[in-house]
Amino acid sequence: MMDIAIYSLVDDMVSKAGTEGVVEYWLRVGESYAERMGKEAYVGWPAFNVAMKEGRTSLTVEGEVNVLTDLAIIDKDGDVIGYVYALKTCPMAPTMRRYISRIGPIPDSDTDVADSYNNRIRDSAVSNYCITHQRFREIAANNVTVAKQALECLQLANKGMTGDVKMVPENLARINVDERHIKSILRSASCVFAIIVKGKSAGEEVVD
Amino acid sequence: MAENIESNPFVDVSVFLFFEDISDKQGVEGFTNYMVGQAESLAKSVPEEEYETWDDFAKAVASGESVFSSFESIEQISKYGFVTNICPFSKAIREYIKRIGNFNPVHVEATDHYNHTIQPSAAHSACMMHQTYRKEVAKRIKIDGKPLQYAQIGAKAYTGEIALPPESWKKVLLEKAGISETQGFMEMRENSCLYLLYVEERSSR
Repeated sequence: MMDIAIYSLVDDMVSKAGTEGVVEYWLRVGESYAERMGKEAYVGWPAFNVAMKEGRTSLTVEGEVNVLTDLAIIDKDGDVIGYVYALKTCPMAPTMRRYISRIGPIPDSDTDVADSYNNRIRDSAVSNYCITHQRFREIAANNVTVAKQALECLQLANKGMTGDVKMVPENLARINVDERHIKSILRSASCVFAIIVKGKSAGEEVVD
Repeated sequence: MAENIESNPFVDVSVFLFFEDISDKQGVEGFTNYMVGQAESLAKSVPEEEYETWDDFAKAVASGESVFSSFESIEQISKYGFVTNICPFSKAIREYIKRIGNFNPVHVEATDHYNHTIQPSAAHSACMMHQTYRKEVAKRIKIDGKPLQYAQIGAKAYTGEIALPPESWKKVLLEKAGISETQGFMEMRENSCLYLLYVEERSSR
């Protein structure tokens, strides 16, 4: 029942704090959730990928992910700097289905809050919950090291309940992965992201 | 009974954190107000129901067909006495403890605030949401044209603590439910929540 509260809570909060206020709350929730999960260290990418597959990392508490080891991201020297991962089912999907079946249509405030985030921060939310979920992954990745190197999470794409897709072109460019490839992954996943060594990119330059 | 769709605990835990963030900004009062306010809004969104007889309603509640039992499995123990065996928040509470650790003390502070300012019936912060939801949903259900009434008797927290009303209320509520105090305690041993559902009898003129 706790999850169902999201929609009425967001609806209430939009009327009191506005859509921008709700976005700020969700961002802070994502941060505090990830920070409270603690730190993790892996000796190398194979160990990290096994932990991802087995759901042992803080990045997999949200649900099962496909580890796309065929999509290794390499830098200009040919070193592996990360991988692409696909979350099979959006954690919000069961709540949405339950809300629709027990209460009724999803309130408009869900889209209003997502739009506020998309217009002001990054165009990557298909529902209001994406705001906290994506932030959670970004901060959780910062708490993980692979071969003593800090990581970062890049949101690549996600798919909403009605099939609408959001892509983050600047992140796709950074890891040099084609949009069409990500779209094909989204056929059997709800969210695609990359975990890479912090500051690295597939191109020539190291990103600050 | 409708399909039982399980929530993802990731979402459940983040809602608890959302309320904690509200309390950081607006204090325990803000936490309580938002918890109560959103439960009222949620209840106002559910469809209204009408039943011809008390038995029709009780049967619908126990079989999970009424909006009153949308989120919990309810059993009738006397004409007006009802119990919920498993608290619908217990999974979210367990997942919070498993993933994050001890509950933030603000949950106890908000529960105390609710018990002192609204009614002394909450054993955990989630009870504020649950009991408010039940109270408001009851207003949307009519039995033989009369609105359903709801009154909380006992609620048990994950720590085993039981929230009970003051002695004077408890006596009246148990009497209305048609159960003794001992029976009430026996029910609270097996269940997470004991409450009264009834309709006001027509006054004879």
